[in-house]
Amino acid sequence: MPVRLLLRNLFGHPLRAILTVGSVTIAVFLLCILMAVSRGLDAAVAQASASRLWVQSSVSLFVDLPNAYASKIQSTPGVEDVVRFQWFGGVYQDTSNFFAQFAVDPKKWKDSYPEIEFSEGSLDQWEKSRTGCIIGEDLAARFGWKVGDRVPLIGTIFPRLDGSNWEFDVAGIYHSNSLSIDQMTMFFDFQYLRESQEQNAVGGPGGVGVYLTRLAPNADADDVIAAIETEYENGPQAVRVTTEAEFQRQFITMLGSVPTLLASIGGGVLFAIFFAVLNTMLMAARERTRDIGILKALGFGNGKIGFMLVIESLLICTTGGAVGIFLAKSAERPLWSVVSSQVPGFEISSTVLTLGISLAVGLGILAGIAPALRARNLQPVAALRLGA
Amino acid sequence: MSAPITLRTVTKSYSRGGETLRVLDELDLDMDGGTFYALMGPSGSGKTTLLNLVGGLDHSDSGIIRVGDEDINDLNGTELAQWRAENIGFVFQGFNLLPVLSARENVELPLLLAPLSKAQRREQAERALDLVGLKDRMNHKPRELSGGQEQRVAIARAIASDPKVILADEPTGDLDRDTADAVLAVLQQLNRELDKTILMVTHDPQAASYASKTIHLDKGKLGRIEENHTITGDANNSKEN
Repeated sequence: MPVRLLLRNLFGHPLRAILTVGSVTIAVFLLCILMAVSRGLDAAVAQASASRLWVQSSVSLFVDLPNAYASKIQSTPGVEDVVRFQWFGGVYQDTSNFFAQFAVDPKKWKDSYPEIEFSEGSLDQWEKSRTGCIIGEDLAARFGWKVGDRVPLIGTIFPRLDGSNWEFDVAGIYHSNSLSIDQMTMFFDFQYLRESQEQNAVGGPGGVGVYLTRLAPNADADDVIAAIETEYENGPQAVRVTTEAEFQRQFITMLGSVPTLLASIGGGVLFAIFFAVLNTMLMAARERTRDIGILKALGFGNGKIGFMLVIESLLICTTGGAVGIFLAKSAERPLWSVVSSQVPGFEISSTVLTLGISLAVGLGILAGIAPALRARNLQPVAALRLGA
Repeated sequence: MSAPITLRTVTKSYSRGGETLRVLDELDLDMDGGTFYALMGPSGSGKTTLLNLVGGLDHSDSGIIRVGDEDINDLNGTELAQWRAENIGFVFQGFNLLPVLSARENVELPLLLAPLSKAQRREQAERALDLVGLKDRMNHKPRELSGGQEQRVAIARAIASDPKVILADEPTGDLDRDTADAVLAVLQQLNRELDKTILMVTHDPQAASYASKTIHLDKGKLGRIEENHTITGDANNSKEN
């Protein structure tokens, strides 16, 4: 194969080559990010615990459940413990600083999450402080918070009636060993919320958002789900019980069918770039019709000429792909700090990088086949005449 | 190593605008190996078509085309490409050099198909360029050469792989008189010194006078074959340009 001819052709139009490589770079970069998000969401579902069930209103996740349900759920055979969970929705300084906050029962919560450990502070410190809270390592890193710091939040669902801010004292920093639990969340004592409401210092709904139900060892999840749902079938508030994996999946779906959306965007990007590269390669081959005629006249077979065109396309796409995956890996940390609260499993893994470069290689081969087929069908005489 | 060329009842037609145009009509022709032939005739008489058929660039509708010992009508596309690489050197009117390659790299192109090392290819290409008097321009790109020099590079490419037959289609059509004479002198030298069979299409009687024999075609049929008794040119007197 005339390697020198291949390289000279490749760099014969530097601007065109750079723009084509650039378009493949952007496509592969976007695909890697989309794949990382999609896989991160899947990982959260995959690593969800099988021993935790979520009890929510059958109407919607946004409809609270009565407080009295806690004891009844607790008495269901197969249930070991019940933890109250309440979405707080506070704002730190302004809405751009969004992070999730939940009011929970500290000890029960910790017992239900063996994947979580304290990297600083302790459960004891948390329980001793009425205004205490614990925060994830990533949240602590984002705002530079440490144990002992005071975090003021503006109540939105639960506003303080005197117009003041809520104040929480950081009693611990947690580390999660599971991709289904992010490190960008704040947890504080449910009693702090409830007592504040009972003192008429705070507005907002008085129920419980969801009940986290921990299964007893050897308990059958399906039996427990059926028992709890049957118990509240006729009210006062019908419930829906799901496994944690299902709950995660439901949460992801709530974000707007994200996986489907990501797949659609990724597919669209891939198709658009495929046609752009294909067009470039066809244009380049058409410009070289005379050259193809010359090579054929000199005795170069269709295989060699076709191979040369495919390799040219492959080189362009592989270069673009390599730059794309390099940029994606470089952007991993900055992007992770933005998306990790929603997608704790976000990672530009070696699998994502391999998929990215494989797509670029596949794109290169496919985009090279069309001009190679065209060259194959060209008769030498016609090629020389057309290119004259 | 000279190769005779034989054509028997060769017919070739083209379809244009719904009409079938018979360009070669049951043509019989015998050409001796190691002879320089000029091929003349009015436009549309089938000169270039004949050249393309003999060079295996196109297929005849019927008849036999034998070059040396090979009946090229029996060869498929891949075999024909291989055969061209080993037996035929082409020189075109428009030079047809690849603009992205240097003179030496252009000459090396057909050698890429031969089982040669890089050094052997380079040596053979330089020898061919030396033969046409352009060794000192071997690193120049085609755009840095004059028309005559480009055509001489094309001739060097045609002879680099030591083919038995050189087919030249109006090789001096785009050149001025002096430059054309120099290029024709090189072709004549290749015929005399290397015993190449040369078939050159031309409209120019002056160019044809460099050949040993002139074949006249008329409406796809053989007119006559003339022996040139007063052959023009001598490679030793060729002009540099």
